Amino acid sequence: MRHARLIVPVAAITVLAGALACKPPKTPEQIQQERQAAFNEGYKAFQDGQAKGTNPYANDKDNPHKMEGWNEGWEKAKSDKEAAEKKAAEEAEAARRRAEEEARRKAEAEAAEAARRAAAEKAEALRRAATAALLDINFDFDQSAIRNADKVKLQAIADFMKAFPDAKVKIEGHCDERGTVEYNLALGDRRAAAAKAYLVSLGVSESRLETTSLGKERPKVEGHNEKSWLANRRCEFKLL
Amino acid sequence: MMFRLFVGLFVLAGFLGAQAPQEVVLSASTSLKLGVAVPAAQVQGLDAGLVARELHGTLLRDLEEAGPFSLVRDAHPRSTEPPAYKAWVEIGADWLLLLKAARLQGEELEVVAQVIDVKSGKPGFNRRYHGQDRVLRRIAHTLADDLMARLTGERGVADTRIVFVRDLGGGIKEIFQVDRDGLGLTQLTFHRSLTLSPTLAPDGRLAYITFKAGGPEIWGQLKPGAAHVRLYPGSGTRNIGHLSAPAWSPDGRRLAFVQGDRRGNSDIMVLDVSSGRARRLTDSNCINTEPSWNPAGTQLAFTSDREGSPQVYLMEEDGSNVRRLTREGGYNATPAWSPTGAMVAYVSRFEGKFDLFVYNLKDGKSYQVTTGLASSESPDWAPDERRIVFTSGSRGGMQLFTTDLSGQTLRRLTDFTGAQSPRWGRSR
Repeated sequence: MRHARLIVPVAAITVLAGALACKPPKTPEQIQQERQAAFNEGYKAFQDGQAKGTNPYANDKDNPHKMEGWNEGWEKAKSDKEAAEKKAAEEAEAARRRAEEEARRKAEAEAAEAARRAAAEKAEALRRAATAALLDINFDFDQSAIRNADKVKLQAIADFMKAFPDAKVKIEGHCDERGTVEYNLALGDRRAAAAKAYLVSLGVSESRLETTSLGKERPKVEGHNEKSWLANRRCEFKLL
Repeated sequence: MMFRLFVGLFVLAGFLGAQAPQEVVLSASTSLKLGVAVPAAQVQGLDAGLVARELHGTLLRDLEEAGPFSLVRDAHPRSTEPPAYKAWVEIGADWLLLLKAARLQGEELEVVAQVIDVKSGKPGFNRRYHGQDRVLRRIAHTLADDLMARLTGERGVADTRIVFVRDLGGGIKEIFQVDRDGLGLTQLTFHRSLTLSPTLAPDGRLAYITFKAGGPEIWGQLKPGAAHVRLYPGSGTRNIGHLSAPAWSPDGRRLAFVQGDRRGNSDIMVLDVSSGRARRLTDSNCINTEPSWNPAGTQLAFTSDREGSPQVYLMEEDGSNVRRLTREGGYNATPAWSPTGAMVAYVSRFEGKFDLFVYNLKDGKSYQVTTGLASSESPDWAPDERRIVFTSGSRGGMQLFTTDLSGQTLRRLTDFTGAQSPRWGRSR
């Protein structure tokens, strides 16, 4: 054994030390228990509002573990309290932010809903006004001149376009079945141009009016008599 | 597969054109008819019923409708050998047409057509046709046209087609075609929109108006068989005015068409298709529409209301020398210049209904072709100038008809209504 020669001196020193000591030495388990007890006291002391300087073991030179345990307990209580306070503050802040966000969202949704409703009302107003104003005008056989009876209708269309400055209108010229396919396409175009020219003369900007012709390709009514032919010789006005 | 036959037919047509002048038996104008007897075809490796219906039946109908043939229907002699020729002559035959149809391999088949002049006893016409089962009808049409060419010096029109607008309902009209015999209905455009006013170039290219973009545009083919593309206006152009009534020039390079201006006047323009440049031919305060080229491509007939009511006028292809053609009636329109340039077909309105008329440019006289309760519109000429296709019907139910120039033999081509603007062409 390598350290065999040290056994005798060490044993001697140990016996001597034991003889010199006043009290019997504490076991590590006892020290641990006392330290834990002091820790608990320190923890409670902080909770009770005592300063760190009130450590009752500050001068207990024989039991430094008690002083340390008490101090550790006091410090732990302090850091626990600070952590709890910080967490509470953070939670409060998050809650405040959530509430703010919620309020903002609600306000936005209300604004959007209001805008949507306003737009729908506006669109509905536009639609109603368009339905009321955009009435067919009719033409005499083989003619494209605006009839006196239709001038009121065109004035109503012009008024509508002044009331709704964003509205654009497509004018479709149509004919009855008693012309050739191609001649009727040209005649329908001439009817649409006549209606457009009249609206421009009433102050509607040309850029807000489109024209096209469908000749006899899209009759409004299927009949084959004077009444049907008159209904089919027309301009239709469509909101773009 | 189908394509191979087309190529074969084109080659054949080219071959015919290149041949030395043929013996012409009858002139086209004679009223004498040539008796033709066509016994049932000899069939090898093919369904005899199919051959009887698609080849023999189609050929008989084509020959009968061609004009100068009279089919010998009396009981045929059993033999087609030389000793029996006299018996064929006795039942009225000038020509004995013998058909053989045989399967070569796979779907390939061959039809051999041989004509024997039973009066002289000499074999004449002898030709082979190749194709597939489903083109037996086309072979019959080609054979009928070849027999017409042999007989009169002019190709027949059995193998021709008519393109037209068909109403599919719901505001949708598309371009369709039928063969000259009313069979083979085929849809050519699929725009799901209002599609109007077809025109056929001599090489078979289609052009027409479609409203698929909202307003009218000219669409068509730049090469035969090619996809349909927008021809006018070019990309990036907007608000150029209402477009209608395209008409290919006889050389297939230019498109006459009609463009509306801001004041609602319509003018005839000519588009050079390769450069995309359009030139204005008319410029007046009125409607000018329905351009129709003469066969030389040097003049145009058109409809104009420049003197108050729609009338037919002629002008040079640069817009000069405008002169009025029609004098009688308050509404004359839709001129169609005939293939030889000698006549102009048009429609004239009386009591709200149209009838077909033909104006003879040589003597300056016009005569009425159709007379009826129905309204007859949109005439166009058969390539051989013997018949006119048009739409007719009352109460909006327009169907396709053809008529000879006397208005005597009227034939209905289709069994559905809602047809308009037919154009008769040879190539496909």
